[in-house]
Amino acid sequence: MSASGLGHRAGDRSDGRSDGGSDGGSDGGHSIVFDDVSVVYPNGSRGLAGVSLTISPGEFVVVVGLSGAGKSTLVRTINGLVPVTAGRLSVGGTEVKSVRGRRLPRLRADIGMIFQGFNLVTRRSVMSNVLTGRLHAQSWARSLLGLHTKADKEIAFEALERVGIVEKAWVRASELSGGQQQRVAIARALAQQPSVMLADEPVASLDPPTADRVMRDLRQINRDLGITTVVNLHFLDLARRYADRIIGMRAGEVVFDGPATDADDAVFERIYGRSLTGEDIST
Amino acid sequence: MTRATATRPNPPPKWPYTVAGLALVGVVLAAGWSLEDARWERLPQFPGAIWQYAAQMIDGVLTWPGAHPDGQADPDLTYGDWWLQALKLMGESVALAWIGTCVGALVSFPLAFLAASNTAPWFVRMPVRTFFNAIRAVPEILLAVIVMLPLFGLNPMAGAMAIGIHSIGSLGKLTLESIETIDPGPVEAVVAAGATWWQRIRTAVIPQLLPETVAFWLYRFEVNIRASAILGVVSAGGIGALLNRVLRGREWEWGGIMLVVIIFVTILVDQISAALRHRILHGAEATAVAA
Amino acid sequence: MTGAALERRDGPQGPVRPAKPPPSPLLIGGVLGAVAVTGVAGWAIDFSLTPVIEQWSTLMMILGEVVHPEWAEITDPTSRLWTALMETAAIAVIATFVGSLIALGVALLGSKVSAPPGIYRVTKSVMAVIRSLPDMAYALIFVAVVTGPLPGILALTVFNVGIVAKLTAESIDAVDQGPLEALDAAGATRWQRARAAIVPLVLPSYASYVLYVFELNIRASVVLGAVGAGGIGQLIMLYFNRADYPRLAAVVIVIFVAVIAIDLLSQALRRRLV
Repeated sequence: MSASGLGHRAGDRSDGRSDGGSDGGSDGGHSIVFDDVSVVYPNGSRGLAGVSLTISPGEFVVVVGLSGAGKSTLVRTINGLVPVTAGRLSVGGTEVKSVRGRRLPRLRADIGMIFQGFNLVTRRSVMSNVLTGRLHAQSWARSLLGLHTKADKEIAFEALERVGIVEKAWVRASELSGGQQQRVAIARALAQQPSVMLADEPVASLDPPTADRVMRDLRQINRDLGITTVVNLHFLDLARRYADRIIGMRAGEVVFDGPATDADDAVFERIYGRSLTGEDIST
Repeated sequence: MTRATATRPNPPPKWPYTVAGLALVGVVLAAGWSLEDARWERLPQFPGAIWQYAAQMIDGVLTWPGAHPDGQADPDLTYGDWWLQALKLMGESVALAWIGTCVGALVSFPLAFLAASNTAPWFVRMPVRTFFNAIRAVPEILLAVIVMLPLFGLNPMAGAMAIGIHSIGSLGKLTLESIETIDPGPVEAVVAAGATWWQRIRTAVIPQLLPETVAFWLYRFEVNIRASAILGVVSAGGIGALLNRVLRGREWEWGGIMLVVIIFVTILVDQISAALRHRILHGAEATAVAA
Repeated sequence: MTGAALERRDGPQGPVRPAKPPPSPLLIGGVLGAVAVTGVAGWAIDFSLTPVIEQWSTLMMILGEVVHPEWAEITDPTSRLWTALMETAAIAVIATFVGSLIALGVALLGSKVSAPPGIYRVTKSVMAVIRSLPDMAYALIFVAVVTGPLPGILALTVFNVGIVAKLTAESIDAVDQGPLEALDAAGATRWQRARAAIVPLVLPSYASYVLYVFELNIRASVVLGAVGAGGIGQLIMLYFNRADYPRLAAVVIVIFVAVIAIDLLSQALRRRLV
């Protein structure tokens, strides 16, 4: 894997999806195909009910819906954090359900993820956190000693530069603001050199201007590197501003799927089960 | 996007960690070197010897209780007698640990209010805290030897009181710390309603405090059962005195039986106590889920 | 209950005011149980405080000797007391260091967050058995192999592994799941997850447990000497058996000061850790 992988990524976009995609290689984005996917949790509650979707390589998709509508489940099935109970789900041609044991980390290495709570190891430096995105490419002995190759450090620095926070590289993550922490989390995901980027409510814990900044970063990364991106959002408003395509979910089912421009007030009502109020616009 | 506008900072130096680590290893090596009669060369003998003792202990434990052990002065003695004796003495250990814990709990609870910064002024607080720290610093065995054995003679009351006094210190410290970390909101509300010092304690502090404190008492009981073993060495009651005699006499079969009884009773009491603590701290629903 | 509270709003003609519920049977049972256990325990050890009055003069006589400690033992740095104290400190340092290192590994095997289910159950049970024996039992067994500080070190090491591994495993159980999920999502293996997230997250608690057992070890190594495992305990037994109270008092003073000093030091260190 070349040290400047992130840099030349953009140029490779054209060759799109190629192989099984478990090498974390430098082909642009992967496609994601849901074929009648259902998820039932061990406690009996239903996460997804027969979802069928095709997300093309390099697409920027925003999933909207109320909490409990299945957005989180949808995103987490893509990297196998939530197991699929029925149906077929493939990422870049690899069936997620068939991947077990040692191959699961390799599939996940190819899929970056960003969380609502940032999920940084806050006691460690920004750099250490970003370098955890390189763990998949590291030997057992190196990860024991906490040693990183020059190439890995270069990738981490480039990722930090991309989100514009490189000057904080050696600061403890706990000393950063929420928005800065989320950008570190994006850098961590970027350092994986992923083909798919997932974001589960990435801006729910941030104030509106910071949220905007984070969304812009995600959008820019998607444009520059051609990484297929799936973002969960609570509100339609931000979704309309950034998405190529919006998927609306309600009770585990897809109730809307179309370009952002089609997501009008009627669609809003279908997703949220009520009409638009002033409060929704301002957020 | 702000790309490469800022220069990359240099990593912070690593040498302070290296120096600290080397210093620590140095202290440990110096400590090892200072022990002139430690006979480190005997270390490799341990696994073999321990294995051999353990085999004999297991033999003793697995022998039919009606059988007669070899080489004992009393020909009627059976393994069963050893089991009964161990159980009886372990019962005494548990009993003296319980009484000791009760003494510690009853004395430390009221004193803790006089030691916490949110319930007592500094001139009361300082002496009480010093008292807690002072008794915590004296190991039980010294309390037993200097004060309790002269008073109570060589019997379990001496052990119970030594454990009790020592527990006052540690329980007092834990209780005062949890008094200091209670939610001040309810106290403020009660003060605003015109409550006196005592009413404040009774209605706003104790209700917040009680579950955690009772859990501390139970935890201390578990610790005290282990502590009671050592008091046996100075004959202050419990299973320790006999264990000391038997293991020093290298009667491994007998010792094995005693150790099994100790392990079994200790784990049993720990399990009961842990379940009670969980029930007290988290309520019935959480306990049901955990089970 | 909620229903009643809501209906109260209907006015005074609403439902009757609920009576105060009786205390829960569990609470009554718990209190009665505690009283019963106390009664039985008191009977089993012949609880009686009358010796306090009867033997008061004996105690005063002994304390009269104790308040005149043999200062020479303390002021002379070559005395047996100082040699024994240094030995005790060295035993505690080595046992804490070795025991804590082993314990970190054991703790990772003993938490369901870091270890596979089978391994963590086995580790937990083995640790429970190891912890259930008092440190003195280990010392007695090890002393049978060889006397001196070595069995003391080994006994305390075993004891430390038990405590530090248990506490650290509990901290690992309580670790924030967010960063772990992030590492799973980044394709980290179980091992990398432990190294990159779990260990850094529990490090402050681990360090404070290590300091805590160091304090315990100072106290415990006092006691271990009593069974011949080196350190200051041997002196305590010697002076106790000879009823040499002035020298015993000197030992008490030194232990007292040492324990308090270590306590303060470790508190200061722990405050910096958190």
